[in-house]
Amino acid sequence: MVNGYQAASLPAALAILGRDTTIVPYGGGTDLMIEADENATYLFLSKIPELKKISEDAGYIRLGAACTFTEILESELAPPLLKTAVSQIAAPAIRNLGTIGGNICNGSPKADSALIFVATDAKLRLVSHRGERVLPIAEFYLGRKQTALAADELLAEVLMKKDGLGNYYYKKVGAREALAISRVSFAAVLDVAGDKIAGCMTAFGAVSDVIIKRPELDAMLIGKTLAEARTAKAAYLAAYDQAIVPIEGRISAAYRKAVCMNLLRDFLASNGI
Amino acid sequence: MIQFILNGQEVSSTAKANVRLLDVLRQEFALTGVKCGCREGECGACSVILDGRLVNSCMVALGHVAGSTVMTIEGYRATARFAALDKAYAAVSAVQCGFCIPGMLLASECILARNPRPAEAEIRAGIAGNLCRCTGYHAIVEAIGIAAREGKGLW
Repeated sequence: MVNGYQAASLPAALAILGRDTTIVPYGGGTDLMIEADENATYLFLSKIPELKKISEDAGYIRLGAACTFTEILESELAPPLLKTAVSQIAAPAIRNLGTIGGNICNGSPKADSALIFVATDAKLRLVSHRGERVLPIAEFYLGRKQTALAADELLAEVLMKKDGLGNYYYKKVGAREALAISRVSFAAVLDVAGDKIAGCMTAFGAVSDVIIKRPELDAMLIGKTLAEARTAKAAYLAAYDQAIVPIEGRISAAYRKAVCMNLLRDFLASNGI
Repeated sequence: MIQFILNGQEVSSTAKANVRLLDVLRQEFALTGVKCGCREGECGACSVILDGRLVNSCMVALGHVAGSTVMTIEGYRATARFAALDKAYAAVSAVQCGFCIPGMLLASECILARNPRPAEAEIRAGIAGNLCRCTGYHAIVEAIGIAAREGKGLW
């Protein structure tokens, strides 16, 4: 095909990318086609079985990067937190095309599935004809629309932890119910084991150049009972108040900041903190 | 050469792989039931069914459909399911200017194919990506409900 390659297997795709790194990997196309470049040569990935698989091993749910949002919603393995976020992306016709790999690699801080992967410390399996590496997603985002993906690399799989994600909180604030791009999005998990907080993970999307993730602040609550967490709450909120510095855009920074703090407070309150 | 199945026929196109499926359907195959509204996946006027799923053809590069099955309103028109929806839409006058209707009908098909007896909320969620600027949603939702009731066994 002119201006395009369709690969039937992952090694075949990696060989094509290894030869010419100007080729653009094409998952579902919903981000690429918005600003379609008529000179672009695409590598179509939607028919590569290795990239469509959803499986599990001892520790992780493994999601193929070319899985569409609809396929995530229909999967029995995908965690409920991820499904909750994905179900609010765009509308059915876009969810039928858009892929988690595209959502991650496009590098937007507004990416609704990427927020969940960042919040829950997912890992990314990146592959190239040179080999493969597994990278924590926090190390993948380098800046606005900048990622650690090398030109000859593809995102093959997203690895999500199997345990500890059951008690979650997710809110997307958009202009309307369907087809809205996030103005602020927030995902959090509070894992309470016995009477102690075993895990606390939060992330804010659509606020800054990259998704905001501050594990050192969440650590202020970990290991505490709910009563102790209530005592630590003021310091935790004050630390986040410093950490969240929204960018001024079409949506005002002050509005974004206020919404972030409201959502964080609501997350704590809904867990009795 | 990019080959795919279009409305039940094997077809091939020599267009570039990076062009929009929407443009290829309208210009090369003269399938003008596919409407060009927003070209950014917002309005649903260009909806087609790709391998059984509703998609916006403005958001699909031609190379993505190589080896796939595409159905437009022209192909769907030949089916008994279309006839049932056509009758139901007409019964409640769920058509004003008609620009959105090809996409609405294909969205209706995809809703009913997944669940032959959808609740109203499911119908509304299913057409959420198809915009009607004549404000005709209520009648369209009603029409899909009628087709679901009267088209027994079709879906």
